[in-house]
Amino acid sequence: MKKRRAIFYQCGICIFVISVIGILINNLTINLIRTDLGFNFSWLFKPASFALAEHPLPYSSSDSYAWALFIGWLNSLKVIISALLLATFLGTLVGFARTGKNSLLGLISAGYITIIRQTPLLLQLMFWYFIGFLGLKENIFIHIKNIFKISNQGIEFYGLTLSSEFSALLFGLGVFTSAYIAEVIRGGILSVPRGQWEAFRSLGLSEQKGLFSIIIPQALPAIIPGLTSQYLNLAKNSTLAIAVGYSDIYAINDTIINQTGRAIECFIILLTSFLLLNLLISNSMEIINKIIIKSRKYN
Amino acid sequence: MKPIVIAKNLTKSYTKGIRALDNVSLTVNQGKVLVVMGPSGSGKSTLIRTFNGLETFDQGEIDILGIKLDCNHNERKIQRIRKRVGMVFQQFNLFPHLSILENITLAPVNVQKRHRSEAEEYGMYLLGQMGIDSHAKKYPSQLSGGEQQRVAIARALALKPELLLFDEPTSALDPERINEVLDAMRRLAKQGMTMIVVTHEIGFAKDVSDQVLFMDSGKVIETSTPDLFFSNAKHDRSRKFLNQLDKN
Amino acid sequence: MFNINSIMIFIQKLRNIFFSNILNTIFSLVIILLISLAFLNTFEWIIFDANWKVVTSNLPLYAFGSFPSNEQWRPATWIISLLLLSIITLFGPEWKWLRQNLLLTWISTIPLGLYLLYGGFGLSPIMSRHWGGLTLTILLTTCSSLFSLPFGIILALCRQSSLPLIRKLSSIYIDVMRAIPLIAVLFFGQLLIPLFLPVGIEIDRVWRSILAFTLFVSAYIAEDIRGGLQAIPNTQIEAANSLGLNQYQIIQFILIPQALRIALPALTNQSIGLFQNTSLMAILGLVELLGVGRSILANPEFIGQYIEVYVWLACVYWLVCTIMAVLGRHLEHRMTMNQANF
Repeated sequence: MKKRRAIFYQCGICIFVISVIGILINNLTINLIRTDLGFNFSWLFKPASFALAEHPLPYSSSDSYAWALFIGWLNSLKVIISALLLATFLGTLVGFARTGKNSLLGLISAGYITIIRQTPLLLQLMFWYFIGFLGLKENIFIHIKNIFKISNQGIEFYGLTLSSEFSALLFGLGVFTSAYIAEVIRGGILSVPRGQWEAFRSLGLSEQKGLFSIIIPQALPAIIPGLTSQYLNLAKNSTLAIAVGYSDIYAINDTIINQTGRAIECFIILLTSFLLLNLLISNSMEIINKIIIKSRKYN
Repeated sequence: MKPIVIAKNLTKSYTKGIRALDNVSLTVNQGKVLVVMGPSGSGKSTLIRTFNGLETFDQGEIDILGIKLDCNHNERKIQRIRKRVGMVFQQFNLFPHLSILENITLAPVNVQKRHRSEAEEYGMYLLGQMGIDSHAKKYPSQLSGGEQQRVAIARALALKPELLLFDEPTSALDPERINEVLDAMRRLAKQGMTMIVVTHEIGFAKDVSDQVLFMDSGKVIETSTPDLFFSNAKHDRSRKFLNQLDKN
Repeated sequence: MFNINSIMIFIQKLRNIFFSNILNTIFSLVIILLISLAFLNTFEWIIFDANWKVVTSNLPLYAFGSFPSNEQWRPATWIISLLLLSIITLFGPEWKWLRQNLLLTWISTIPLGLYLLYGGFGLSPIMSRHWGGLTLTILLTTCSSLFSLPFGIILALCRQSSLPLIRKLSSIYIDVMRAIPLIAVLFFGQLLIPLFLPVGIEIDRVWRSILAFTLFVSAYIAEDIRGGLQAIPNTQIEAANSLGLNQYQIIQFILIPQALRIALPALTNQSIGLFQNTSLMAILGLVELLGVGRSILANPEFIGQYIEVYVWLACVYWLVCTIMAVLGRHLEHRMTMNQANF
């Protein structure tokens, strides 16, 4: 009786969803025929004929669209990983400052968090790009004995040059995400019962020693999931690269659509690229999580 | 005497081999109070919850108010039973987002389609009966445990039920709050309400019940009048259980 | 009350916090020095160096975009009524009739805003391409939140459904939406929505972006609500069952109100995030608040005045976000006080 009704409902929903999708696809084909585009991926192997300012692997404008997309994906990966490291470092510092005993530091980090979190990322990125890097008045801003240079050409460090687009994106994403990571870390530390603090203090352990050997190991299980979702957000937010002119996967898709008009195919490519990126991040975090759990025998 | 509940050979197991209910049969007549006792895990909660369809069973049949249920869970019949049977839980289970009066009028207005004003009037009358009409506008979290449980009783009464089920109504209460709930239940029994009560309160069972049913490991060990049960229990296990209760 | 004793205690407290030992003292002094330097520099820049003409001479532009100047009282009325409503909600009197009708008033501000912007019925009609500035930002935020809440609730309920097909479909939708970057959803929304519509039907840019925002945000809201649904103890459903309420009544009276309460802080954050993210439309062809800033910076008269414009915009965004956060906390507080109204 109940089962039959369940099957009936599901069939109904199924028919509804299929017919909605059918209508949409029907409209789509009519529109595609009208605009004379069709749906195929053979254009991927034609020469891209646009230049890329940054490419970790050799690339020239005679290479195929597919290769350009792959370069874009690598560029995305590059900025995501470096911003992720920066954000984790900054976020941990701010998070500890926020929970620490020094209320002056706590006040400053609270201010940092509210300013960063209550303004749009895009605005912050533009700030970093147009003011932080392009806006530098002299050609070279900081110059320390050929080791470290910051100028409107970007950052140079021991022969490793980072373009100003990359640097702006790196700092923008890193600083933005660090404010969220700080809150994750603060939440994790606060999730450890107060009794644990009192317990290690009563044993005569110093604050630092207690924090690192008692509190943080217990806070980690609460921190890791929050951290993972912040990393995933960072990866998604890295697509704002287009605002500062860095050629990440989204920016290259955008260029290709402008050239060829193949919006649907590009949408599918972008979707797959991001599913891949997400899988990469969440699986690595899963591995880290397992290592942490394994290292804690009592669990 | 009109029977309200007739259960025949109820059997249920959650995991294979362990029976939560093992061939349980009982009858409760109109206006009578049945007290179900037994150690924890004896299946008494499971038993009472089958009477309004919160638990299914594997074998046997129940006749409640003339509606027959078998092991095929018939939603429509259960719905009909629930409209005529009230239930009071151990943890009160009031709706925290609704005021006391809204808790009480929710079912009459939406299930029985009564007028809101009429339902509110009757709700206030019931709260008056329970001695908590001054709290009508408050929310559950602002009340003590005993008060919350009395609201839960009023909520169950609001549907004008022909049978009331109590699942350990005083177990979650502070000792000094128990009596205010038991007194309310005593008054209900005096008014002729048919009740099935799972409880450990010996005093209540002695005063109010017409019949005591003792369960262990899903089986009915003994059914008798309260006088007989508390003075001269037939079965070893019943005596052991009563001794244990006395010690506490 | 002027009490010397309490001041002494306060000073003692300060001393304990900042100057408890030598290391702490040095540390605190360095920080205080750095902060005062930063403040001094900032104040000097704000008062003497910055050229605020780029802000002051363009205020109507920031607020209303290219809305015809003789009709600008319309968006102004809307924004002022929103502000007034916020003030009344936060500081207004505790009259019962007022508090009971506030939610309805809040919702009705959206049709009011649309009427004032579009015109018609006595007002001269104005095309949506003239909308802009803070007005457009707020319109995008309010409309998208309003539409994505019910959609998100439905998705969350479907994801908890006992029917496997419905559960699967909604979780695919939610997971895919949460995997894609917002800018891709918005960009492809602009490009693809016209492709999926029958020939002859067109939706303008503003509504396309509201639709895209709704599709995106509802997936996130669905997950927040699902968290709320999972936090409701099963005994609540049992109690409702024992009262004879049917499945739909349980969803309507028991599950949704409680899930919304539990998810409220997360929902506030979603709407603040949405407000910030409307800025993405600046690079997709709408002249909302950030878009106005960009177009002003492209004006030869103000070229290169990035700092002034961006600092000003950051202040506006920060202010509105803070107002939203305070409103959210107010509502949360009301609910923990167990008052059903605003």
